[in-house]
Order: sequence, then structure tokens, then C-alpha cells
Amino acid sequence: MLRHYITVTLRNLLKHKLISAINLFGLTMGLTCCLLILAYILHETSYDRSPPTASRIYRVTRDFYDPNGATTLQLSAVAPVIGPLLKSDFPQIEKMAIILSGGSIVARYEDKILTQDSLAFADGNFLDLFGVRVLSGDARTALQEPRTIMLEQRTARKYFGTADPLNKELKLDGNLLCKVTGVYQGLPENSHLHPAMLISYTTLNDPSLYGEEAMRTSWSSNSFHTYLQLPATYDAAQLEAQFPAFLDRHMPQPKRAADFVPPSKMTSLQLQRLTDVHLTSHRADELEANGDITRVYIFSIIALFVLLIACINYMNLSTARAALRAKEVGVRKVIGARRSEIILQFLGESVLITALATALAVGCALLALPWLSRLAGTTLSPELLLRGPVLAGLLVLPLVVGVLSGLYPALYMSSFQPQHILKGFLKNSGGLTFRRALVVVQFVVSIGLLVGTAIVLLQVRYLQQTPLGYNREQLLTMTYPPTLTPQYEAFRQALQQQASVLNAGRSSRIPTGRLLDASDAAAVVGDSLRPTAASIKFVSIDDQFLPTYGIRLAAGRNFSPAFPTDTTGFILNASAVRMVGWDSPAAAVGQAFRYGGVMGRVVGVVEDFHFESLHQPIVPLVMFLSTVTSRSSYNLLTVKIAGANVPAALAHLESTWKQFLPEQPFAYTFLDESYNRLYEAEQRQSTLFALFAGIAIFIACLGLFGLSAFAITQRVKEIGIRKVLGASTSTIVVLLSSDFLRLVGVAALLALPLSWYLMHRWLQNFAYRIEMPWWVFPLAGLAAVLIALVTIVSQTVSVARANPVRSLRTE
Amino acid sequence: MIKITNLEKTYRTEEVETVVLHALNLEVREGEFVAVMGPSGCGKSTLLNILGLLDDPNSGSFVFDNTETVGFNERRRAELRKHAIGFVFQSFNLIDELTVYENVELPLIYTGVSAAERKTRVEEVLDKMRIMHRRHHYPQQLSGGQQQRVAVARAVVNRPRLILADEPTGNLDSSNGNEVMDLLSELNEQGTTIVMVTHSEHDARYSHRIVRMLDGQTVTETILT
Ligand SMILES: Nc1ncnc2c1ncn2[C@@H]1O[C@H](COP(=O)(O)OP(=O)(O)OP(=O)(O)O)[C@@H](O)[C@H]1O
Ligand SMILES: [Mg+2]
Repeated sequence: MLRHYITVTLRNLLKHKLISAINLFGLTMGLTCCLLILAYILHETSYDRSPPTASRIYRVTRDFYDPNGATTLQLSAVAPVIGPLLKSDFPQIEKMAIILSGGSIVARYEDKILTQDSLAFADGNFLDLFGVRVLSGDARTALQEPRTIMLEQRTARKYFGTADPLNKELKLDGNLLCKVTGVYQGLPENSHLHPAMLISYTTLNDPSLYGEEAMRTSWSSNSFHTYLQLPATYDAAQLEAQFPAFLDRHMPQPKRAADFVPPSKMTSLQLQRLTDVHLTSHRADELEANGDITRVYIFSIIALFVLLIACINYMNLSTARAALRAKEVGVRKVIGARRSEIILQFLGESVLITALATALAVGCALLALPWLSRLAGTTLSPELLLRGPVLAGLLVLPLVVGVLSGLYPALYMSSFQPQHILKGFLKNSGGLTFRRALVVVQFVVSIGLLVGTAIVLLQVRYLQQTPLGYNREQLLTMTYPPTLTPQYEAFRQALQQQASVLNAGRSSRIPTGRLLDASDAAAVVGDSLRPTAASIKFVSIDDQFLPTYGIRLAAGRNFSPAFPTDTTGFILNASAVRMVGWDSPAAAVGQAFRYGGVMGRVVGVVEDFHFESLHQPIVPLVMFLSTVTSRSSYNLLTVKIAGANVPAALAHLESTWKQFLPEQPFAYTFLDESYNRLYEAEQRQSTLFALFAGIAIFIACLGLFGLSAFAITQRVKEIGIRKVLGASTSTIVVLLSSDFLRLVGVAALLALPLSWYLMHRWLQNFAYRIEMPWWVFPLAGLAAVLIALVTIVSQTVSVARANPVRSLRTE
Repeated sequence: MIKITNLEKTYRTEEVETVVLHALNLEVREGEFVAVMGPSGCGKSTLLNILGLLDDPNSGSFVFDNTETVGFNERRRAELRKHAIGFVFQSFNLIDELTVYENVELPLIYTGVSAAERKTRVEEVLDKMRIMHRRHHYPQQLSGGQQQRVAVARAVVNRPRLILADEPTGNLDSSNGNEVMDLLSELNEQGTTIVMVTHSEHDARYSHRIVRMLDGQTVTETILT
């Protein structure tokens, strides 16, 4: 029986090659998309599962509020005192580990000087909690002593090659000598942090770093990522509920009782599941760029849509073709086949075809995976798909998809009454309405994806072209070593000796980065000094920063060495002026202003500019020279070069750098690149969107192609008679095309409001976004109609032109 | 074997109601060869479909082997059809995608006969129908006469006790027609009951009894010997 069915299936496949090819191709495409996106989803949801107790580990995070209770900042790290205090206050905490991410520094071993990223400070608790595999050295003692360091395997190789790094010494930042006490295997790629070297936590007690006092008492250096392990059955919310009291108990109180606000009103702590960090945490200071659960949802839905379109093709084409197999059904029933047997036969057929498509799709998916990895900016390994559960799923998949797409055709065809069929008449109209509805569904989805693609592309382009309030062209940024400060003026003059270097400015942060530093501010409005309503972020800049970036002054002046009082001067942005309540930028100039305990005057006001990415609104900002508060130093140097001869400028820059800073590797980034990286996620999303929308429309059109091809063969005789009776080619093309085009038109009408709503929601994610481009909607509808028109007309024309005598003779 | 009493069959479309069979009575005994004749549209095919359990009467009774079949569910109809009844049509109705051999084998597959036995039985029937040499051909590659011989082979391969033939020679020339009629006679002599619809007096003479229908009723019966 089975062999018989397989024979019949294969012969039918071969007999109707076009329809079979469309079905097989469509299903293969649809399933390939599903598999690729499955790999992506599996990867995204596999983060941070490597620690042995991953499901019980929580990260402590911290929020800050302004006096009105509005959240001003959300951090993924907390102050150094918090971890140890939590551990001693709450016995239910089984383990606690802290890691301080040190960013990048310069490391030197003998003559190897390299900029080292992903440096971190941690102790044995971190190794233990994260299940880090120690390859050499003693896991328990390696990070006990100050100035000891463990290296990730690849880092070790970078500095020491094949030699044993144990007990060798690395020089960090030109002065910190650390002894290598171990080598560990890096955390897996799918982790939310990847420290490349771990310096012992006790090293931080060094006064040149944080100092013992700050490490023990600081509530404000919120850079310490703190992880807790809770008992298996413990509800983390119970612990969280005790945090406000914990803060009020431990946080230092203000000196004057009048200012008293409970600390828990200004800040709070939360627990975040380790396994949720990658997909759901979007805090200001994430260790690495995280994924996004909504993106996972969006792509899952798109994959299902593509598969749905392919299934609909199968349903439509099989049902349309049913007339050709009606006799077979009739004969089988006459011979004694029951309806259920016929249904099973057709379902078996679709399952077989889907199985074939699945096999092809697995091949295609494996081939396309590296390519998708690049597009998606992650590493998707084939192992994601070649795992037991996935493979088992692949065996069930043809069953599910086969039944899904084969059920309607099977029910339809098995309902044929043999006494009618065998007499030669078959009403094929029952399936027609349903088929039309399915075509409409296909095009609703396709047009929706088309609109989505267009709007995502427009928004991404908008992000790239929005005036930022500064000029991001030809800017090079590099780490500024504090050791350069005494010689900085000489360095800058050496740089500017050549015309290719236009300017250079220093700052604590640079545009495209985040604004995370804030202090208390107070301003004179009217005649009293009042604290500002909300916090103001700060950046320290030197007197060349504004001209280097081309940031325009709205009033007052830039800092200048000619005014010694500028050491207590402030430059505000227009938003800060508005928030303080001064009437205009000009009115602000000369006013008294206190920031971070320093009393001074406003010397200038700049126009608002986009320091942060366009995902963030422009916030009030104050800028001052780094001498104003000891807390802020210059960390970055920005050099503006002439566009004419970039290589010459770079060469000059490098040689000057080498001359002044022989110990520092020369490494730079174009600000433009950093800027583009801000929108990488959207860029990728738009590429993938376009890709999947293209595939969806392509498969839908294939279906339309098959359907119209079929409709035409059914009507060859009618066309012949009409032509004999005098119909022109064009009237026949219209006759044959109008039916399908109407369906696409209906689909467009349905798709537009739907996609308008969804894209409207998507745009809300951006602080700066395009107006909903209304013209995209008719355009997408029109594009779909045009594509469909070309598909259909390409076939109808040849039939309509054909000599009617030929088509009539074939009957 | 067959006893039909007071059979009514009407087709209802939106506007019109066609009475096709009206108060029809018919009895067919085991081993008989009955020819049904009558003008086009008088309901011969409809009657045959009801006899073959492909169609339901609106009222009346149809007793097959002493069992009332009116009200049988789909499973029991298919069961009876598959084991006891073979069909031959004017337009052959072979499945184009299957070879001669596979077409004839099909009923045996549905009755669940083992592969080995299927082979012997199919070959035996093909031999008998003198079409063995064409067993790997597809229907389109055969002449009308050959196709009808395959259709007869398929009808008898399950050794049914009743063969229903609807104008089996209608699409054949006289020599091919005679060949098919000879085959049917032969089957009848071996004990198979046959009910055949025909427009040909010549073919009707192969039967034992001619039933003439007019407007959904049997009007005369002629016994031939
Ligand atoms: N599905 C149907 N719906 C409506 N009327 C039908 C249907 N099938 C058959 N009829 C009508 O029933 C009547 C009998 O049809 P039937 O096919 O039994 O005639 P027949 O005697 O076999 O004719 P012929 O010799 O031409 O084959 C005809 O008038 C036909 O129009
Ligand atoms: Mg008839």
C-alpha cells in the first residue's frame, strides 16, 4: 500500500513538473527560513547557561530617581559596598561574586605592547560562580594576592605564544606590574561577558586605583557587576522586597536633617535572572551589546509567515489541480476505497513532499548559516541545528507542515462523488472561494512585509542623516593617556604643524557614547540659588573640544586660556538652560551656577546636539574643564583631520604619537564608524527584513504564477472560441488577469491599515523618528499589484496571442 | 441476489426537481446476466450507481444478498463494493498514472491481499484477458479495446459476485466490442452475476433477460434463452 502511494505521488510530481517545482521550491524556501530563524532563536536563548547553577544566579542592578520619582538612570552594575553588605545581611544568599570591567588598557610584556580589551577585576568567587575552567594555576589562590592576574587562553597566547605564562609579569598602563598566576578557558561565545584577563580584586585597594577606603565604603562608583546565587526553591522577589530597607539601613544620610530623603526614594536595587540578561536587559552600562527579545519575536513571526505563504501555495495549487485527479479519486472509490483512505493518501502525498522539502531545507539552511551569521552579526554554528531535539523536531515537521498544507486539498478531493466525476462533470467552484481567500492572505502578508521593509529602511536612513548638531566627518578618536597631560600643549602643537591635522580636543566622553555621569546642580534664578528640578549630566572638555566637533554656541563664549576664571566656568546646552528656567541662552550667560560642589558662572551656552544615539532624547548637559572637579579627567582625544589626504594625516598623527608616547600603542577609531555602530541593530534588522520580505513576495508570486498558469490551461478552449468569435489579444489578457489582480487589490486594502498600525508601534521605539510616510502604503500596494501583473500577464499574453485553431484542435 | 422494491430517486437543484427513478422494482437472481435498455436520460446509469452503492435512493428498498443496504454507512458500502462488486464503464476509467498491471492490482491493494498473491492473481487475470504482454504500458499507450479489457480485468480481479457494466462497448468498434462481450459472457458462465446497461440490441442478446426502462420505471422484461 505504502509503495503504491509513493509510486503514485512521484508519478504525479513528475507529470505536473511546474506545479511540483513551485510547491517543492516554496516549501523548501519556507522551511529554510524557519530553520535559519530557529538557529537564530536557539542561539539567542542559549546565553549564560554555562555556569553550573545558572538558573539560580541573579545580577544585582540599580535604578536612580529624581525628586519627582521619575527614573533617571538604570545601571547593570552597582557600588562596591553593595555586594559584601548583601552577603552579610541575607544569609539566604549562597554565593556572591563581583566583577569590575576595566575596559581597555595598554598591556606590555617585554617588547610586545598591545591595547588589551575586556580587562576585568575579580576574585575566586567569580571563577567559582561562573564555572570558569582553570587550565593552569590554582583556582582558589590565583586571584588572592594584589597584582596577580589570570589570562584567558587566547590572551595568554597573544603575549606569550607557546611559552608557559605562569609567574611571568605583565605591565599594565605603563605602571601596574602583575604576576600571571593562571590561565583559564574563556566563557562561551554565548555569554553576556567575556573577560580576557582577570586581575585580582584586591588590586583595586591600591590607592592609585580605587583605594581601600572607597572599595569599603563607596556607594557611588556603580561599575561593579554583582552576582548572587540563591537557593533552588527561593523566590527572588522575596529578597528584592527587602532591598529598600537594606538601602535605608546602610546608605549614608545627608548631614543636614532638613535635606533628609530616605535613600530608597532616590535609588533602588533589583535582581535580574542571569539567563534573562542577554535578551531582556537594556541598561545604560551593559557589559556588551545585548540581544533583544522583540527582535526574536519579530523574526519568528516573519519565518512563520514565509512558511504560511508556502503552505498556502501548496493548498492552492493542489486544490486547483484537483480536477486532474478527480478521475483517480472516482475510480478508487468505485473500487472500494473509503473516504478516509483517500484522505490518508493525499495527506501522505503532502507529507512526502514536505519531507523532501525538509531534507532540502536542512541542506540549504546549513549552507546559508554562515551568511546569516554575518548578516545578523552573531555566530550561528551548525551544531545549533544538529542537536537531538532539533533533529527529532525535523522528523515531526513534515508531518505537521504536510498535514497543515495537505488537509484542505485532501478533504476537498476526497469529497468527490464518483458517480458524478466519472460521468465527466466536476463542479470545481467549491474550492474557488477558498483559494481566492488564501491568495488574499498571502498578499496581505507580503504587502505588510513590503511596507515594513520600506519604513525600517527610511527610519535607518533618517538616523544616518539627521543633523546631529556637530560634524562627525573626519574625526578620529583615541584613548587619552593621562601621562600625556604635562606635555599635552607641545603634543598638540606638534600635531598641528601639518595642515592635515585641523584640530584636537580632549574630553571625558565623546559623542556616540553614553552620558552617564551626573552630579548635584544648583542655579541662580531670580535671586536665590535653587537646586535644579532634575539631574544634569556632565562631560569635562578642554577649550578645543567644541571647535573640534563644530558644536555651535548659542550665546556667550567657549573656554579660553585667556580667562583664568574659566576653571570655575560652565558651558550648558540649551536643554539645560530651559530646565533651569532661564529665559534664553543669552540670559543664562554670566549667571551663578553650582555643580558638584563647585560654585562658578555660566560662560556659554551651546545649541542642543545629539551627544547620545537617536534612541535617546537630548538631555540637559553641563560641560566644564577637567580642573573643575577632581572627579573628572580627560579619557579621550579627538583629532579633526582634513579630508583631502587621510593617509598623510594618519601617518603624521602616528609619528607624533610615537614621539610623545613610545609606550602607548597607536590605535584610533573613526567617529563615523562608532556612529554607524549605534544603528547596527536597525541596519541589520532592515537587511533581514528586506530579505525575508523579498522571499515572501517571491514565493507568493510563484503561487500566483502556478495558479494563473493552471487557470489558463483550463481555459485554453474558451480562449480559442473567444478568439474565433473576434476577441482581441488585449481583451483576453484583461479577462485572464483581472480576476487575480482583483485579489491582490483586496489584499492591499486589507494590508495597509494593518501594517500602518504595526509600523506605528515600531517607530515609537525611537526618540527621533520619521513621520509615518503615508506614500509608502499606496506604493507598496501598487508594487504588489505590478509584480502580480507582470507574473500573470507574462503567461496570458502568449496564450492570448496563440492561433485559436491550434488550441481548439487539442480538444 | 438483488431485490429492489419501490425505489425512488430524485435530483434536486435550486429551481427544479427531477424525478429520475420512480416506483422502480427489479429482481436479479444469482448467476443471471441482465441487460438494461432504454432511451437516453431514462435513469439507467442512476440505477446502476444505486446497485453499485455509489448513490443513495431517496426511498424504497434495495436488498443485496438478503440484507437491506439502504442506510448503510460509508464504511459498509465500501466494504461491500470492494469485495462483491466490479464495475466496467463506457469510458474505461483507468488511472493514467498507473500501468496496466498497477491498475488491475489496485482493488487487491484495497482489500489487503498480500504482495505475492497479488502478483499471481493479477497475472492470471491479465492472461485471461489476453493483455499480459502489455502489463507495463500506461493506459494512453493502449487501444480502446485493450483499455476496456484492462478495465474488465480490474473489475474481476477481486472475484466479485456481481459485475455492473455501463455501456461497456459504447466507445468501441464492433470487433473490439464483441471481444468484450465474449469476455463478459464467459465470466457469467463461470457464475458471475452481470447487470449491463446498453444501447445496443446486439449486445443485449448476450444476456438472459432484457429490462426496458422508460421515465424511471421498468416497463417490459424480455426473457431470452
Ligand atoms: N447530478 C445530477 N443532478 C441533476 N440531474 C441529474 C444528475 N444526474 C443525472 N441527472 C438526471 O437524471 C436523469 C437520468 O440520468 P441517467 O444518467 O441515469 O440517464 P441514462 O439513462 O444513463 O442516460 P444515457 O443513456 O444518456 O447515459 C437525466 O435526466 C439526468 O439529467
Ligand atoms: Mg448513462
